[in-house]
Amino acid sequence: MTDTALEAAALGKRFGRLRRSAGWALRDCSFALPAGRVCAVVGPNGAGKSTLLALAAGLLAPTEGTLSVLGEPVGQARARVGFVAQDKPLYPQLTVAETLRMGGDLNPGRWDARAAERIVAGGDLDPKARVRSLSGGQRTRVALALALGKRPELLLLDEPMADLDPLARHELMGVLMSQAAQHGTTIVMSSHVVAELEDSCDHLLLIGGGRVRLAGEIDALLETHARVSAAADTDLAPHTVVESRTTGRQLTALIRPAAPLPADWRPGTPSLEELVLSYLRNPEAQTTAPGTPAKSPEESAV
Amino acid sequence: MSAFTAQLAAVLRLHRAALIVWTVFVAGCVGYLVWLTEVTAPALREPLAGALGLDYLEYSSPMGWVSTFMYYGFWAVAAWSAAALVGRELESGTARLAWTQGVTPVRWLATKLAAPALVLLAGGAVFVPVYRWAWSAHREMMGDDWTFADVFAARGPLVVAYALCALAVGTLTALLVRRALPASALAVAVMIVLNRYVEKYREDYWPPTTGTPHGAPVMRVDSASYHPQSHYWPLHLVETGIILTATTLATAAAFLLLGPARRTVPARTPRQESPA
Repeated sequence: MTDTALEAAALGKRFGRLRRSAGWALRDCSFALPAGRVCAVVGPNGAGKSTLLALAAGLLAPTEGTLSVLGEPVGQARARVGFVAQDKPLYPQLTVAETLRMGGDLNPGRWDARAAERIVAGGDLDPKARVRSLSGGQRTRVALALALGKRPELLLLDEPMADLDPLARHELMGVLMSQAAQHGTTIVMSSHVVAELEDSCDHLLLIGGGRVRLAGEIDALLETHARVSAAADTDLAPHTVVESRTTGRQLTALIRPAAPLPADWRPGTPSLEELVLSYLRNPEAQTTAPGTPAKSPEESAV
Repeated sequence: MSAFTAQLAAVLRLHRAALIVWTVFVAGCVGYLVWLTEVTAPALREPLAGALGLDYLEYSSPMGWVSTFMYYGFWAVAAWSAAALVGRELESGTARLAWTQGVTPVRWLATKLAAPALVLLAGGAVFVPVYRWAWSAHREMMGDDWTFADVFAARGPLVVAYALCALAVGTLTALLVRRALPASALAVAVMIVLNRYVEKYREDYWPPTTGTPHGAPVMRVDSASYHPQSHYWPLHLVETGIILTATTLATAAAFLLLGPARRTVPARTPRQESPA
């Protein structure tokens, strides 16, 4: 087993054939995700999250740069990677049991029928029910069972919990976390709901405008940022300012401290959601500032 | 190998409805042929029935329908393979589901084509011998002869070749268009044009005999030359070869078109970088 689950170098994907008008869904992405992590891919709609996951699943070919999965060129690790697409495609004419059987047929030598059946059984699903008769949440459950049944070393989930009720979301998240804990599975899941991921993920990949804005261990990221409030005319240099706002004579800011902070700034640790929102609200934050967070060595290194 | 068999079975399970329809169609045709030959025809040999022209209505005409339906069955095969076999998978995203299981897209397409091809071959292997037997059992009561387009095809492997070609062309158009309904229409159109064109030049696939025919039915080429019935197999096999060549080309093109998911498999080898 390799130590790096996912490694991108200058990865880019452009859709469309016409060179001038074509749009880059993802550009200049470099990051490394250590194996065994539960990684949240966060970003606004259309940020490139789905493109990144589809590239990692081997469903799209990169336009430029490279992406290696579990130490192998993408596509060759197919048998060891599980993927659940955002729309959870399943064959509507098959029953739940037949869908799982197909999983066994298409994953020779890897399929864990019992694990897959257990996940389905957890949702009170009739194995004889046709997929077309299932609700959105039930389909998600079957899709997850199909992905986990192949005992993946890397599990890619694109907005996995979007159509689940809070109870099912909690329960399936528990299934995923126990999978990660038991088998050391690396899980990469995208979402635009940060709160959903805060408790379960230990790694963050923040994508905005097709670029990696922030990458690293969540704890380390929170530690290297501070929320401060000071008088409105305070000069925040030499610290890197991600976001600052002035209300009356009060200035509140999210910064990356470059040196110990004065106590009268009342520094505090931001929440993950604050951190993410600050970066998303300020697309120029890192490009104008020195020491771009996404590329600084302590965060993008293995 | 057993993994491949399991994947073939998975494809058949997925398209169970089509498999049932095809089986019922072949079994129905074969059963009807046997019934017409063994029950209807002997009954019509009674002098009175022949005098009333019932042999055409009750025997010759149904016999012709069976071969016509079987011959033009490739229309349905083309529509089905473009829409249900491949097009719908690409349109609804289930192809991506299959590609993220433990099989490569190339393997996926191979089983997608192999399973129905085997079913079509099996259907042909049952139908063609029975049709040959039924068609030659009561020649004097039939109004057709070996040069009729459907009879010409249904008495040998050509009828199966057209079905296989439709399967490949349907797959190709589905991968080209990536949407079920337009792909289906395009596949049927391509197959009709191909069939019309190949059929039009049918008499050119073997050197004709010159002279004036007498007696047995012949295929006229022009006023001075014709094909006697002894040319049936060469003509038939050359046309089968032409159609199978088209099938091979369409299949190869389909694999080439399989798209980015295929190309990522072998071609792009990332630089082996080792971050310090």
